[in-house]
Amino acid sequence: MNQFDLLSRRNVLSRLGCGFGGLALGTLLRESSIVASAEPELSADFQPRAKAVIQLYMHGGPSHMDLLDPKPVLNRFDGKTPPDEVADDEKRTKNLMGSPFQFHKCGQSGLEFSEIQPFVSEHADDIAVIRSMFTEHRNHEQAIWMAQTGMTTGGRPTLGSWAAYGLGTENRNLPAFVALPDPGGASVNGVRNWTSGWLPPRYQGTVFREQGSPVLNLQPKQPRPPAIERARANLLRQLNEKHLAERPGELELEARIETFELAGRMQLAATDALDLSQETEETQKLYGLDNATTKSYGTRCLMARRLVERGVRFVSLFMSGQPWDTHSNNNEGTKKCCHRTDQPVGALLKDLKRRGLLDSTLILWGGEFGRTPGAEQRNTKVAYGRDHHPYGFSIWMSGGGIKGGQHYGATDDFGYRAVEKRCQTANVHATILQLLGLDHESLTWHHNGRDERLTDVYEAEVLDELLA
Amino acid sequence: MRPAFRKSAFATLICILVTALQVPSETPAADVAKVELTFEKDIIPIIKAKCIRCHAGVEPKAGLNLTSPSSLLTGGKSGAALRIRAAEFSLLYEMVSSERMPPVGQKLTANEKGLIRKWINDGASGVSNAAAIDRSDDVTDTDLWSFRPPVRPVVPDVRHPGRVRNPIDSFVLRQLEKNNLIPSARADQLTLLRRASFDLIGLPPTPAEVDRFIANAGPGAYERMIERLLASPQYGERWARHWLDVAGFTESAGILNEDRALPLAWRYRDYVIRAFNSDKPYDRFLQEQIAGDELTDYWAAFEGEERLPEYVVEGIIATGFLRTAADPSRPDFSKIKNAAAQYFYPTLFDTLQIVCSSTMGLTVQCARCHSHKFDPIPQVDYYRMQAVFTTAYRTDKWIPQMNRRLPIASRRQTEAAAEKNAEVDAGVRLLKAELAALKKTFADRVFTDQLAMLPEELLEDVKSALNTKPASRTEVQGYLAGKFKTKLRPQGKELDDAITKYPEYTRRTKDLNAKVIAEEGRRWLFDEVRALYDQPGEATTPVLLRGDALTPGPLVEPGVISTIASPEPFEWSAPGPESKTSGRRLAFARWLTQPEHPLTARVMVNRIWMHHFGTGIVATSDDFGVSGASPSHSELLDWLATEFVRSGWSVKHVHRLILNSSTWQQSSGVTEEHRSVCEKVDPDNELLWRQAMRRLEAEPLRDAILATAGTLNTPMFGAGQAVAREKDGEVIVSAGQNQGRRSIYVKILRLNPETMLEVFDQPTISVNCTQRSISTVSTQALTLLNSDAMTRAASAFASRVEVEGANDPVGRAVLTAFSREGGPAEQELLSEFFDAQIKLYLEQHVEADRAKTAVVADARHKAMADLCHMLMSSNEFVYVD
Repeated sequence: MNQFDLLSRRNVLSRLGCGFGGLALGTLLRESSIVASAEPELSADFQPRAKAVIQLYMHGGPSHMDLLDPKPVLNRFDGKTPPDEVADDEKRTKNLMGSPFQFHKCGQSGLEFSEIQPFVSEHADDIAVIRSMFTEHRNHEQAIWMAQTGMTTGGRPTLGSWAAYGLGTENRNLPAFVALPDPGGASVNGVRNWTSGWLPPRYQGTVFREQGSPVLNLQPKQPRPPAIERARANLLRQLNEKHLAERPGELELEARIETFELAGRMQLAATDALDLSQETEETQKLYGLDNATTKSYGTRCLMARRLVERGVRFVSLFMSGQPWDTHSNNNEGTKKCCHRTDQPVGALLKDLKRRGLLDSTLILWGGEFGRTPGAEQRNTKVAYGRDHHPYGFSIWMSGGGIKGGQHYGATDDFGYRAVEKRCQTANVHATILQLLGLDHESLTWHHNGRDERLTDVYEAEVLDELLA
Repeated sequence: MRPAFRKSAFATLICILVTALQVPSETPAADVAKVELTFEKDIIPIIKAKCIRCHAGVEPKAGLNLTSPSSLLTGGKSGAALRIRAAEFSLLYEMVSSERMPPVGQKLTANEKGLIRKWINDGASGVSNAAAIDRSDDVTDTDLWSFRPPVRPVVPDVRHPGRVRNPIDSFVLRQLEKNNLIPSARADQLTLLRRASFDLIGLPPTPAEVDRFIANAGPGAYERMIERLLASPQYGERWARHWLDVAGFTESAGILNEDRALPLAWRYRDYVIRAFNSDKPYDRFLQEQIAGDELTDYWAAFEGEERLPEYVVEGIIATGFLRTAADPSRPDFSKIKNAAAQYFYPTLFDTLQIVCSSTMGLTVQCARCHSHKFDPIPQVDYYRMQAVFTTAYRTDKWIPQMNRRLPIASRRQTEAAAEKNAEVDAGVRLLKAELAALKKTFADRVFTDQLAMLPEELLEDVKSALNTKPASRTEVQGYLAGKFKTKLRPQGKELDDAITKYPEYTRRTKDLNAKVIAEEGRRWLFDEVRALYDQPGEATTPVLLRGDALTPGPLVEPGVISTIASPEPFEWSAPGPESKTSGRRLAFARWLTQPEHPLTARVMVNRIWMHHFGTGIVATSDDFGVSGASPSHSELLDWLATEFVRSGWSVKHVHRLILNSSTWQQSSGVTEEHRSVCEKVDPDNELLWRQAMRRLEAEPLRDAILATAGTLNTPMFGAGQAVAREKDGEVIVSAGQNQGRRSIYVKILRLNPETMLEVFDQPTISVNCTQRSISTVSTQALTLLNSDAMTRAASAFASRVEVEGANDPVGRAVLTAFSREGGPAEQELLSEFFDAQIKLYLEQHVEADRAKTAVVADARHKAMADLCHMLMSSNEFVYVD
């Protein structure tokens, strides 16, 4: 499958000038014959299990042994020097540090969660935890590239862009890929978290904001009276129509006219999608909008649900800075992050489920790496931080074709290294694409003389055991 | 050193609790940390005990022989058995630590696992990298047209010689005639003026230029117009931008979150602008960028000259081309394991990709890991080319990117400056000591004066309390000290506040500080250049097995792609040890710029062609390999390439040829006749039966908006215009008098791309951009309709029209925006809108105010601004016919 097939597959006619992101006109013109004969219905590589993805990106690298990967042996050797096998030989971590948090078996399945996630753990039976993740870099930036784009080098398209490219949007008035950054401040790697890299810019994540105008320049900063706005739009249309009439058949001109119409429709659609006042008080409370600690993340979770409901394919939620980067006080830092996110994420799962959306919405929770079993001393007298750790960590997925109530793979007794069913990032990416009905090997884009793909040269395996 | 695992009760405990970690009692593991482990002494015994039954001999299992140090890196069927300093990602360690190996018999003990892990992580001492690389997948010679030198073809005869203005037309017409297609008529004069203007200088013709062009429409007027544009300094600003794309130019370092600014990068940008403006021969242009330091003998000038001659400075600035690759290194990189693999090699990889894709249109990066799947590029050649750059980018002795800069100074100047600056330092030190002494004096005076103000009875007690060391104070003294310390012995800011109350102190410090500034001003500083230059010492370049920096293979010498049939070979021999530079890059540049190089001239003329027609003769301007497009007019490509070289590699000569051809001057419109014939046979216009309608790229669009609004300001060169991210996320050019500078001077920051340029497809630079994509998306509509920058531009445009076209503002607006006169229907439409819009704005006011002069003037201005705004948002403005 290449980009041309995809265009035909996605029924270009229906998208002509309609996709929020607009059109690859150069391609379209050449492919007009394909367009005309395009099959009207979508035929994916696989039967899609998920229509949409909500990515809950946990910036900084959450501590797996404090959240999802119980390590009784580590706890027992709390404060002891680590054995050679797990001694951190390149960084500055010290003695082993057990987790102070109790783990509980949750749900019917008995999947274990630590006590600091009371809301998420209610959905244990819908959640599959991958405990055997590893990545290739111990710096945030490169490891984020890995998690988001499949390689540790910068400039490649993010997961959401690939999904947008592969699937297009279901709602002609909203983008396929929406990024919800934290209004509290930029995340590490900033705008690159939703870049389309060398995929065309129309597959880039569109930033929706919680406050003010939801999309950049959706309205002028000094709004104009409606009559004046209408007259302007009218004039522009007349100018463009006259111009087009002198150049009949230039599809590109027609498409550009359409983008202006769409801009108008989007003002309504985006504003409506983000109008949380339409939600009941119960729902707002569920997401924690009534609580200062949970309000911000809860708002974004609720926005994500509303966007997915309206046909957005991929929504990525980001956090300001890197709150999970618990170098100096791991236990408090990790707890704080849970206070901010646990209730909203639990609410999202619950809300999607009761609306019948969880089956078709894949939730992806995780960061760029885990944290060391050894204690790190940074800016404190006592060592009770944890450093970056790429050799073993956990992420979880739920909904959208995932078989919940299970964990996959394992780290060693100290949580140091993934040893069972070691899971590289490419496996996760391949699995996500497959759930969306896309084959990671054939979803390619020709760039600089090479058919590029999300999983690049990795021999990626779809994690069949995770699939429902 | 990390804490070792001590054999103790703890270890015994582990034996009981963790059966997987069996600690043998005979070897105290504490020793492990201290000694350097070797393959022979420490690893072979383990392998002999546990692995040798399968992984040795003539046919080892899985092709993996563990007994020879060379076979560990080469590995077996599953790839390398180990990766240097990365046990956690080494197959050998993975297998034994997870106890998948050995499959039967005794597993490795915890200590053995620890030994293997540490040995690998310490650098796998004893492992040889001399293994011969597997050449079984080496390319067979593919007969690739682009790897053979261009041969100048005979200009063909055509049936309609009247349509031929120069040889380009003969080649194009020949093909059209063969397919029974007819070229389009010549576009009208003003269309050509606008097209040429955007193509060459990236700006629309001004109303005055339109008038002049119409007034002087005699013979030769067109050619004169082309010459005027080629001679304009704005030509360099337009064409440098194209080159900066392929060079991957940005002004921030990339990768890391802080996205460090590169404050000196603009010098290279200016060099490129100047090079295009002066029509620097393209071969020289490439030689300077790849080896400007060696070409101009920078080191000789540095040692021998009083000051660096201008051409030497230009030479080292030009090497900025090799400094555009993203910089993932960071100040603490040296503490991090495998820094070369993680931080340094990516820069080398990117640099080679930039060099090869920009100059040769090749995608060499595939050959990094294996011989190229499609193109005849052997993997070993990739590393031979890498060796051209490893004397400058030494992965074993890395200079942090931010420290790689050369002062614009000779040795004599540098030494004189060092001497002089040492004097300055000494002077400054003295003055600072004086300042400190002064402060102390007045701190004491504060103490004395404040003490004197205390009641008599407290005075002595407080004094002795404060003069007693805190530890020795009695309880009472402690109380007194706590109470009076801030007043009597203030610190930091409080002290400053207290002593500045003494006019004498303020006066004397002011004098001294002025002296410090004066002294500092005597410091001799040099401008610096972000250059590439060789580092001292011998550099080695290993082939990286599978492209993995952790599995280095045999060493290679510098070289080039051996399958490229260049008449002149790559010639290089190692210079004497006294030489400051290896000459590798100059040898490479000479090879690359030989007149009959199969790719260099072809790739460049193709790129020039692409920017004049929207598509290159080879449509994949970034891929002249097997999987690239074949040339639509291969003879024309070769004719142009040889003509380019014959002209002395003159880029402007190629422009002249193209813009004076009938082919380029064709109309872009499709007539009924063409629709019924040409569009059926050649819908993509590959044979060039018409000119293509093209959307303005990001920079000419923004520049055209500024030019039309009359707010373009034109200072050339120098540091880039700052951009800033607004609260709502929009990145805009920071306000100030130079807000309206041309887009090429707007800083390109990888993490903060200017919003308008970004939405109109200015590339996000990761490595470089060899071909831009053009998108048509609604965020572009939103930016044009609603951004502050556009609203401002519309208002400025309106003000301009009000002055310049007092009698016919509407007509003047059309002329300024579209570089043509408005037609009657158009005039009517716009005038009606103007009048109606004035009314709408007046209706925003109460009845009584509507006749007021200021209100009317304001309404007229806003209405005209709306009109101007819509003109600049329209398709006609954004597209070039």
